[in-house]
Amino acid sequence: MRIPIGSALAVCAALWLGGVTPASADTPITYSDSGRGLFSFAVPDFWVVRTGGPREIEDTELGDLRAVARVMAIRPVTDDNVWMGFVSPAGVASIEGGLRYLEDIDKFLVEDPVVSSTSNTRIGGLPARVIRGTGNRDGRGINFTATVVDLPNGRVAVVVAILRNGADPAYVDELNAVFASFRALQ
Amino acid sequence: MISKRIKRVVLALSLGAAGFTLSACDGTSVGVRYGYGYDPFYDSMLWNDYYRWGGSVNRPPKPKPPEGKPPPRPTPPIAKPPPRPTPPIAKPPARPPVARPPAARPPIHRPAPRARR
Repeated sequence: MRIPIGSALAVCAALWLGGVTPASADTPITYSDSGRGLFSFAVPDFWVVRTGGPREIEDTELGDLRAVARVMAIRPVTDDNVWMGFVSPAGVASIEGGLRYLEDIDKFLVEDPVVSSTSNTRIGGLPARVIRGTGNRDGRGINFTATVVDLPNGRVAVVVAILRNGADPAYVDELNAVFASFRALQ
Repeated sequence: MISKRIKRVVLALSLGAAGFTLSACDGTSVGVRYGYGYDPFYDSMLWNDYYRWGGSVNRPPKPKPPEGKPPPRPTPPIAKPPPRPTPPIAKPPARPPVARPPAARPPIHRPAPRARR
């Protein structure tokens, strides 16, 4: 029995490609509020997810008890210089509102922030505003990218990506892949 | 007299041990300084003053925690174990509320909060 050389090469090439090409096994995650999914994104392989949840936190200085929306965070297992957080605050219904919301959390996130660029874009097919800049945290320089995505039905998603100095630049691609996987669920 | 062969073996073993020692310092073994017990960025993202200054700026009221009883949960597939006997060591008191993280930088140009009546 003779086996054509062309067929054998094609089979070998298929086997080789199948064995060499890395499997895309990102894990989909859904951000939900009150049992309703708001948006989803894919977590890269070998990243850690912190889900959080709605809860009440009291300001011990002011005695101010407040409801806090779910904060979800992801970061690589082996590198704590990269961090990405998601929140959909209640009552914030527009990109402008999301920007004001960002103004009220940035003083906790970043010291001496300097905005380098602001741009309008679309993430997951939805209008979004992206703010990029630099700052400090605990004596180390960081690059941040804060994004407000206009979700349907009067909600926004606030996404903050942090890259501390010393982070592997290759993680930028993975962070952008997370943005590329972002989808609204309503 | 030590032969050249023994010298080579000793040299090879020494180089191997040195290689193992250096491999322990390899950059691929990355240490993570914090797990998810303390995460400065996460803790900071929980905090905002967005709902506090609603008087001077057109902002939505604070979100309220969900009211009413949640719907009854279905019976879980795994049965609950029998109640445990009272442990000899009493439970510690409830944890105090979560402390507000320190601001990375002080707020600027921020109106004072309205006085409570």
